[in-house]
Amino acid sequence: MAPVYKVSYVVAGEEHPGAILNADQPPRVGDQVTLGNRRFVVLEVVDLLPARGEFRFLHATLRPATSS
Amino acid sequence: MDLVPLLQKVELFEGLTPEELQAVAGLCAERVFHIGDTITRQGEPGDEMYVICEGWVEVVPSAPPGAASPRAVVNLGRGQLIGEMTLVDYGPRSASVRAISEPTLLQAIQRERFTQLCEQDFHLGYLVMRNMAADLSFKLRHRNLTGR
Repeated sequence: MAPVYKVSYVVAGEEHPGAILNADQPPRVGDQVTLGNRRFVVLEVVDLLPARGEFRFLHATLRPATSS
Repeated sequence: MDLVPLLQKVELFEGLTPEELQAVAGLCAERVFHIGDTITRQGEPGDEMYVICEGWVEVVPSAPPGAASPRAVVNLGRGQLIGEMTLVDYGPRSASVRAISEPTLLQAIQRERFTQLCEQDFHLGYLVMRNMAADLSFKLRHRNLTGR
C-alpha cells in the first residue's frame, strides 16, 4: 500500500481552527492546499511523529492564498 | 461497494489483516450529510462513531463561560474519526459536529457491534484500541499547536 500522510494543518495569522486530513501526497513548501472551500499556501512542513506502518504524521503551517 | 481499500487508509485500522478489514467493513453503514447538517450534538448520548470518506466537518464545542459564541476547534477531512470518544467512554457527545461540504460522506460504525468484534478478535481489538488512542493523541497535539 502507498503511504498515507496524516497532516495537521495550522493557519498562521488568522482565526482558523486548522484541519486534519489524510492525503495521498505529502504537502510541500509553496504548494497550495484546499481546506473546505478556501485555498492556502504551505509555509512549512515538519514530521510530527514517527511513521507507523504505512502512515506518516506531518504538521504543516499555512497562510491564506489570497494574502500573497 | 468494497470498503476495504478505503478502510486501509484510515489510521484506526492500521495493521489489520484483509480478513479483519472485511469484518469491519461488514459493520459499516453509509451516511450522507449536507452543508449545515448536524452529525452529532454536544451533550447528547451517542452509540456510533464515524469515518469521514469524503468532504469536511467542523468540530464545535460549546462556548466557554464569557466567550461570545462557540467556535470550531478543528476541521476534519478524509480518513478522520468522529464520535470515537463516546465509543470508548460511553459518555455524552463532547462537541457538536457539522458538515461543511457538499456532500459529506461518512461510514457509521455502531458501538455494540464494534465492541463485540473487538472482544471476539483480540488482535483486531488490541490494534484498533491502540490506534484510537494514537488518533486521540494526534488530535490533542493538533489542538496544542493551534492554541485552541
